[in-house]
Amino acid sequence: MIRFRALTKQYGPLEAVRDLTLGVAPGEVYALLGPNGAGKTSALRCLATLLTPTSGTAFVNGIDVREDPLDARRRLAFLAASMGLYERLSARELVAYFGRLHGLRGAPLDARVSELVELFGIAPFADRLCGRLSTGQRQRVSLARALVHDPPALVLDEPTLGLDVVSGQAIYDFIARERTRGKAILFSTHRMTEVELLADRVGVLRLGELVAEGTPGELVSSTGQENLARAFLHLVGGAEGR
Amino acid sequence: MSAWRVVCAKELRETLRDRRTLLMMIVVPVLLYPALLIVAEQLFLFGARRLEAEEAAVALLGDPPPDLVARVEADSALRVVPIDGDAEGAIRADSARAIAVLGAPAGDDGTRAVTLLYDATSDRSSRAHAELRAVLGEWRDALLEERLGSRGLPGSFAVPVAVADSSIARPDEVGGYALGRILPLLLVVVTLLGSFYPAIDLAAGEKERGTLETLLTAPVPARDIVVGKFVTVAVIGVVAAALNLGSMILTFQTGALQLTAVIGLEVSLSLPAVLAIFATLVPLAVFFGAIFLGIAVGASSFKEAQNALTPVYMAVLVPAMLPVFPGIDAGPLLSLLPVAGVAFFFRDVMTGQAGVELGLLVLGSTLAYAAAALVFASRAFGSERILFGGGEKAEVEPGGWIERWRVGRQVRARDGVVPSRGTALLFVALLAVFFFMGGIQLQLRLGEAGLLAAEWLLLFLPALAFVTAGGFDPVHTLSLRRPRATGLAGALVLIVGAMPLVWVLGWLQTFVLPVPWEMLEGLEELVTADSAGRLAWLLLLLAVTPAVCEEIVFRGVLLGGTRELPPWRMLLLNGVVFGAFHLSFETAIRFLPTAVLGTVIAWAVWRTGSLLVGVAMHLVNNGTIVVLASTPGVRELFSDPEAPPPLWLVPIAVVLFAAGVRILLRPAVRADDPHPRTPEP
Ligand SMILES: Nc1ncnc2c1ncn2[C@@H]1O[C@H](COP(=O)(O)OP(=O)(O)OP(=O)(O)O)[C@@H](O)[C@H]1O
Ligand SMILES: [Mg+2]
Repeated sequence: MIRFRALTKQYGPLEAVRDLTLGVAPGEVYALLGPNGAGKTSALRCLATLLTPTSGTAFVNGIDVREDPLDARRRLAFLAASMGLYERLSARELVAYFGRLHGLRGAPLDARVSELVELFGIAPFADRLCGRLSTGQRQRVSLARALVHDPPALVLDEPTLGLDVVSGQAIYDFIARERTRGKAILFSTHRMTEVELLADRVGVLRLGELVAEGTPGELVSSTGQENLARAFLHLVGGAEGR
Repeated sequence: MSAWRVVCAKELRETLRDRRTLLMMIVVPVLLYPALLIVAEQLFLFGARRLEAEEAAVALLGDPPPDLVARVEADSALRVVPIDGDAEGAIRADSARAIAVLGAPAGDDGTRAVTLLYDATSDRSSRAHAELRAVLGEWRDALLEERLGSRGLPGSFAVPVAVADSSIARPDEVGGYALGRILPLLLVVVTLLGSFYPAIDLAAGEKERGTLETLLTAPVPARDIVVGKFVTVAVIGVVAAALNLGSMILTFQTGALQLTAVIGLEVSLSLPAVLAIFATLVPLAVFFGAIFLGIAVGASSFKEAQNALTPVYMAVLVPAMLPVFPGIDAGPLLSLLPVAGVAFFFRDVMTGQAGVELGLLVLGSTLAYAAAALVFASRAFGSERILFGGGEKAEVEPGGWIERWRVGRQVRARDGVVPSRGTALLFVALLAVFFFMGGIQLQLRLGEAGLLAAEWLLLFLPALAFVTAGGFDPVHTLSLRRPRATGLAGALVLIVGAMPLVWVLGWLQTFVLPVPWEMLEGLEELVTADSAGRLAWLLLLLAVTPAVCEEIVFRGVLLGGTRELPPWRMLLLNGVVFGAFHLSFETAIRFLPTAVLGTVIAWAVWRTGSLLVGVAMHLVNNGTIVVLASTPGVRELFSDPEAPPPLWLVPIAVVLFAAGVRILLRPAVRADDPHPRTPEP
């Protein structure tokens, strides 16, 4: 499970995330919405221990990210929006590298890498250098990389950015599958369709603050709008351009 | 296997797949010395051939005895020519370089007067004079011996004391001394280059590509990541240095090239010396790796890192260059200086004078610096501000050549994209080296046509290829705009004013700098035309060709790539590089005038935004020299750098120069872009 407790992140005078509290239970998918610059990436990075919260904290499977960041990382898969891959490693080498960084060695490592290559349909380009992969192929390799240690919590920052419908669907399938395996999944997105399709609960960030939370249906009805997109616009109105 | 080793193994694997690093790590270090030697050999042969080919014409007047004529004829450097009429006139007309005028024969115990006529201001005449004097001396000695013999006295009778010179330096010491000054610098530079790009790639490159964010989600302490990366960079630096050292030893010690023996460039390093050098190279590589990594990690892109590291690189080169200068010795203080100590130690090892204390001192201090640099690097890696400061929004800018190369995709020329400063300077430096090496070859084979070929093939074409292949915007990089009439007129007035002033400057220089007479004579022969056809050829060779080929390099690529500098620095840099490009061993005297001309032309091109203006100015300058040198009367005045320029020219020149400056200061001289571009926000 994932939990934010009164987490605030400041960059100098700028408050990117303010007093954020939310939780994601095992087997639950939580979508974080918010216009550009709302603080989604900052919040997720704090959870992934890439940034240190200015105050408050977050927990991964009960582990405080401030107290034991390394242990928190072992229980968390983080997929960054940048999809950074080492261009001169092959897909297989890349996944194996992260496996090693997670402490896997020898036969278990090989087995895990082959399993992921299979699972994400990487086999046709597994030995191609990552620098030569298409965006969709890179995304699959990124997912395999993030999941190499099969952690209980998944954090995905805009996982469908730049993907076509087919590749996007592969991500949806993946999220649905992981949900049934009891994972706690937190992802950020700008696409309302995938929120409606996947999310059990939604949180809306505006200028770093959580302004609404609930099931998609609840958000629509509480704002009195006809669909989620309108509800979202209603909630964040005028927040753009910070 | 601990985490840092996992990181290191992966980084090494990735680095070895990078062509650029391989080039710096293997190709450059290995080929450096053979290439250097080939250049040295060519220069040496070039010089030797020129001297051999030269047989000075001398004349003997006043009824010379046959044995003297035979002696002079036997001298391979001299050739006896008959002259008629005025002896002085013959020397002035260069029909004889030196003339011995013998007085009347003096009988058995008299003295026969001999006067040697020559021109002390001509290097060739002076050389012929010295040679002829030596032959006359031999003749005198032979006659003396004959006289003594006829009186029954030994030859030693007239030589109560014999003085001979003997230098205590063995030939290998001389070679070791010369090489010992330059090789340490090369070793340091290669070690530095070996770790330069990997450091950037492993730190800033990781950030730029967004992989740092994923790397840091792995449950590995930042320390292991730093250590892993740092070990990679250091290993590459050490390998580059070791390959370099190996290539150096092979090249100089196996006598693979005959030249080493001929010119006494023998370095024999004992095994302990090699090991001592290698042992010092390791902490040096560690030091470089840590400093570079620590700085590069603060940059958010490859280009930014390159810009941040270039000053460091320069700062490191200065102490490494100290041993090159004669007369600077490694005191304990200098050996404690970072890098300088290592360079001095290498020098002393190569000249066979290194002491154990110095070695330990240098090793110890270098290790200490390496440790300090390592602490610095790991702190940089532990800092969130440095790791994510501005880094999040970093994207691959299509601005640099290296980025393109790395990305390995075809990038279309983008509006306004010009080469970076480092790229432009590197390109010009490489071009200069190839022009120098290739130019000599071409000239040896083809003579004057070789010079023409060198300019077009080794300057013009590479510059064009650089701009096209690099995907740069040709208009912005090369200032390819049609000049405005006022701009062009102002520039021409300016250059006409600048030429006499530069002439004066050259003349003033002769009070402080030695004049390479011989060189100038050769030059004079080259630029002096005696027929209309020859004049046309010379104008093509010496005016049109350099105006086009050199302008595209210096006022094109170089100026285009340095425009981000403050204007005065950009212009000075342009002049200095242009002057340095024209610098060779003998022509130090050309540096300042050429640099000034380069700066003036660069200013005009910058003001008018048009390369054509530079071409026109260059053409006028060189063309004027060719025409004046071919005009009898003016030529005499012009070809002697020690003769003062006509002083009445100076005020006129100042007025013209000032007028040119005033015209070019007007805003209206700036040329328009050929295609109107959307204004930048
Ligand atoms: N490293 C940083 N230093 C300073 N300010 C930052 C940094 N990273 C983000 N910010 C600022 O914090 C605010 C929140 O940014 P964040 O990236 O978290 O937003 P986001 O919701 O992920 O936006 P997007 O939808 O565009 O990805 C923005 O105003 C951003 O400019
Ligand atoms: Mg974001």
